[in-house]
Amino acid sequence: MDDNFNENVVPFFQKSLPLISSVIIMLLAYLPINFALFNNVRPDFGLMCIYFWMLHRPDLFNLISVFLLGVVDMLITSALPGATLGAYLIMFVLVYNTQKYFNAKPFIVIWYGFMALSLLTILVKWLLASVYYSTFLPLSVLIFSYLIGVAVYPLVSMSLAFLQNTFIQDEGL
Amino acid sequence: MKRRRSLFLHLNQLKQMIKKFALVILFLLALLLMILNKNNSLILENSTAPATSGVAYLVDILVVPAKMLGKAYDYVDELQKIKQDNRVLRAENRELKVLQNKYKALEIENKLLADLLNYVPLPNAGFISARVVAEENNAFTNAMVAYVGDNEITKGDVVLSDDGVVGRVDKLANEYAKIIMLTDINSKIPVIVEKNRVRGILTGDNTNFPKLIFVPLDAEINIGDRIVTSGVSGVFPAGLPVGQVVAVSKNEIKVKPFASLSKTEYVKIIKYGIADIVKQSENEK
Repeated sequence: MDDNFNENVVPFFQKSLPLISSVIIMLLAYLPINFALFNNVRPDFGLMCIYFWMLHRPDLFNLISVFLLGVVDMLITSALPGATLGAYLIMFVLVYNTQKYFNAKPFIVIWYGFMALSLLTILVKWLLASVYYSTFLPLSVLIFSYLIGVAVYPLVSMSLAFLQNTFIQDEGL
Repeated sequence: MKRRRSLFLHLNQLKQMIKKFALVILFLLALLLMILNKNNSLILENSTAPATSGVAYLVDILVVPAKMLGKAYDYVDELQKIKQDNRVLRAENRELKVLQNKYKALEIENKLLADLLNYVPLPNAGFISARVVAEENNAFTNAMVAYVGDNEITKGDVVLSDDGVVGRVDKLANEYAKIIMLTDINSKIPVIVEKNRVRGILTGDNTNFPKLIFVPLDAEINIGDRIVTSGVSGVFPAGLPVGQVVAVSKNEIKVKPFASLSKTEYVKIIKYGIADIVKQSENEK
């Protein structure tokens, strides 16, 4: 019984951990907590998770994971359906094509990478939504939310790295 | 045997093709979702309701430990303020008792005058209280999800906090309701300026201060004027407090909502008997 559990369930859990952790972090961002910094400009935690897992474990976090994250976001949010999914796919394409430049680089380089790629992604999402509503959405709120996202990224990255180092062992996969 | 092998080869080819174009297919899907939403498609709304309910339930589970931590901090913080609050509340209570007497007298007078005019009153609105389980305030949307249980809530019902109008029910997913706040870009509420009864529409733009539009050019509106619902269109009851004018310029009038939209834990959902109006508009679609 124990052997079976170790052979089947543990690897499955390890393989799903990037997706499960991303979904939980994304849902945590929607909790109605009265925290002054996040009250009106909550950052997009989904983008952070996609960036982190695609750089560190692209074997466990693929296009389907990105799609599922986009769907979960669409279900909980009242924002334009499809816009977040589109943004996540753009992030996927960007990271997929640039990950070789971030391999084995110091954290500061990875952080700069997140700054650049997430800025591109949210600007495309903003443009999409603005075209849809035929009016420019407030750019100041977006930029502030982006800056908070950049500031918070090291914390999210640290938490995800902790999960990765604690629960994902390569020999088990 | 040959046929089976050929079928297998075809399936394999199809699989390879889907794999090759997966990204393009998913981008197209995202675009399709946007187009469906633009056309107010009921298919999209109805098909996502059970899944939305499931995700909202997950957030609901996460709320408990997060709130316990938050409340423990608030408790310690609030202990210091209780004494001062008590003094203020006693004074406020005295004032409210005086106002209550005035209100009772006015109510009687109003009833007598209405009887004299053969006035037909609007339907009485009932309400239910609902707990907020998720909220989002960003450049793309200002909304919340509330647990409504098995109460009969209708799309379009008005949502209030203790201070004023919060928004309206946008979507229903089993026991949860998605509420768009009055600051959301999709929110449009018929309102009047309380002082001079000037009508307008309060429309959100995803900032903290929604705009007052469709106001007559010669209307006299000043900073500090109170804005209340007008009751026009029959969807919102008349006279609900909405906000206060905070900026008047040549191009726009900005209103600050009375309700603290980002600090709302519980909301009241007003059942105003608008089911027929909503059904009619959905049938028209």
